[in-house]
Amino acid sequence: MSDGLVDSRPPSARNWWRGGSPGLRLARHSLGLVALAVLLVPFADLAIHTRDPWGELGRMAAGLAWPAWGALESPFTALGLTVAVALWGTLAGVVLGFPLALLFARSRLVRAGCAFVRAIHELFWALLFLQVFGLSALTALAALAIPYAGIFAKVYAEILEQTPRAPRDALPPGSGRLARFVYAELPLAWSQLAAYTRYRFECGLRASVLLGFVGLPTLGFHLETAFREGRYHEAGALMWLFYLLIASLPWWDHKRLIPLLLVGGAWLLGPWPSVDGALLWRFVAEDIWPAALLAGDWAGVLEWLARIPSLGPAIGNTLLLGLLGTVGALAVALLLWPLASRHFGNRGTRLAGHGVLIFLRSTPELMLAFVFLLLLGPSLLPAWLALALHNGALIAFLVARHADAIKPGMPGLPASGRLAYELLPRVYPGLLALLYYRAEVILRETAILGMLGVATLGFYIEEGFDYLMFDVAFFLLLVTAALNIAVDALSRRLRPREAPLDDPCIR
Amino acid sequence: MEGEQRRLLVRFEGEDLGHGAHVVLPRLSLALHQGERIALLGQSGAGKSTLLAELRRRLGGEAAWCPQHHGLVPQLAVYHNVFMGRLPEYSALANLWNLVRPLRGPWREVAALCDELGLTGLMRRPVGELSGGQRQRVAIARALYQARPLFLGDEPVASVDPHQALRLLDLIDSRHTTSVVALHQRELALSHFDRVWGLRDGRLAIDARADELSLAELDALYPDAAEPAGSPPPGNDGAPLPSPEALPCARGRP
Repeated sequence: MSDGLVDSRPPSARNWWRGGSPGLRLARHSLGLVALAVLLVPFADLAIHTRDPWGELGRMAAGLAWPAWGALESPFTALGLTVAVALWGTLAGVVLGFPLALLFARSRLVRAGCAFVRAIHELFWALLFLQVFGLSALTALAALAIPYAGIFAKVYAEILEQTPRAPRDALPPGSGRLARFVYAELPLAWSQLAAYTRYRFECGLRASVLLGFVGLPTLGFHLETAFREGRYHEAGALMWLFYLLIASLPWWDHKRLIPLLLVGGAWLLGPWPSVDGALLWRFVAEDIWPAALLAGDWAGVLEWLARIPSLGPAIGNTLLLGLLGTVGALAVALLLWPLASRHFGNRGTRLAGHGVLIFLRSTPELMLAFVFLLLLGPSLLPAWLALALHNGALIAFLVARHADAIKPGMPGLPASGRLAYELLPRVYPGLLALLYYRAEVILRETAILGMLGVATLGFYIEEGFDYLMFDVAFFLLLVTAALNIAVDALSRRLRPREAPLDDPCIR
Repeated sequence: MEGEQRRLLVRFEGEDLGHGAHVVLPRLSLALHQGERIALLGQSGAGKSTLLAELRRRLGGEAAWCPQHHGLVPQLAVYHNVFMGRLPEYSALANLWNLVRPLRGPWREVAALCDELGLTGLMRRPVGELSGGQRQRVAIARALYQARPLFLGDEPVASVDPHQALRLLDLIDSRHTTSVVALHQRELALSHFDRVWGLRDGRLAIDARADELSLAELDALYPDAAEPAGSPPPGNDGAPLPSPEALPCARGRP
């Protein structure tokens, strides 16, 4: 990878890492990241708390291999509700987000607001709305619609901004703003807007499943119960149901079918809660703020802040797990992508590789972490494994797709040469760029994994809600959002510029 | 000269033209009179588009405009692309409704225009599905549909064959009293226009009546073409072939 050396001697072994070529820069960059993670690993609690993890894993695998279809209670209601929540939540996100997208470039306030609502995970929103709307469809829809509105606003704005300017410039002077938009901007962006919306709906489907973990009766609720009670054959059946739902998506998210599903779904979402306006107002205006702050007592606020349990360690754990997860994902991606690439192995290994990648990337982190937690006990280890495997597999899948489009210049190289000389130098910048895109997602997931019992911010947020300390929970939510926004900004600065990733559907 | 009795439309007197601080045509002096048919010649990058953009700015609503690379919306039908020439004349609501269901009056007018341009039967076809020459004609149809006294075109006949180019220029002439057309076909410039403006290296090298000029004088505008044959210039200037850039906007992002 060392180029630009005019000297006839080979560069001395001591100075191999010096030099300004992009390859070396990226290598130093990644090694720095790995070194930081290795340095900090001793601070992470990676203990295994259970006695027989392998036996438990065997029982779970047996459950997945022999699912007990007959034991499922009303699986179709759960499935229907999962789809209905995802569909209506995404639709509400589009309705809220589209007008914001038009203001996005002009208003700093809109950009800041969208960054804030995006930075809080769907499940945290669900926990917040749970306090007001109870276990109802309203909670589920708001939990999806609000962060998605922020995401849609940003991505739609980016897509619209990148439409070609020529048709707009060709319009006769005096064409109205609305006419210009519907004739010369919207048609050019339409296919991309639709593709992103479809992708977001798929994300919404997974999020809708996960809403079961806070108690909403979607597929995740039945999954969690079955797993917790050790009914692994039933859990296996539910997992298969989930995979079938995701895999069959291309057949049923047809645009003619969507209105039908919307109407059918609306019927499943009820009954709607009666919202008490006074109670809602009290929650927003009083409950979520520390009493001392509302009274204007600053000394009291400091005292309140000091009494928040283990704020420092929680933030530390969250950031540490985020870093470990990112580095783990890098390692997993580097190991796994050749398995699914057409350049390596034979038909059988490629098929197996694809299978592993699909399995890992379509299982949400939270679900993976939950399973590992049952196996290994509540330390950072299960969370780390889940983050690294899920995100690593996702990146590996995209990198393999990228590599498959490359035609090696030198035919007949051995596999190792093909990997090291032909393919890796070409795909690595893209891999790292993807990793930095995922870093923000990984941190957001890290916080949420606290809800399973890992000592990250999410753990204390859920505790705050459980003990009705809404002010503490809300404050920690704000801290989580601030961390996410900071890490997003950082990763955007560190991201390699060599590989611009245009496709918003891979974020 | 007869031009002196005609109404003066635009006059530049030693003005710097360009984009912001970047001056493309320094100290340009030039006049455009009503009734003139002007061919604008010059290599790619000589400043033709800059001059046309400035003319368009000064002439405002008087000039119909046919941009380089067409500037069409590939996802919309031929009818809608042509209709866009008159967007300011209808209310926002009518414009919106027209996307759902074409307005009857404009539909008839656009149909007549399409018949003349050999686009019969293609009104409902998305522009993205048309050939380069067909797109060119849609772009011209959109300019004609504006029904202005003046026509400004940036290489409007770059991607059609010479016979068609002649027919299209005749059609443009029959509907406009004055026109300024950038093109690469030197023979066409001499045979079909009253006057030639030739740009070279950021200045107006030629500003003369077409019947006083020879092809050799026009060749001086293209220094790259004077290179020995066998190594054709990269921009394929001077050749009436459709340039690859003239086929615009693939679906999605650039």
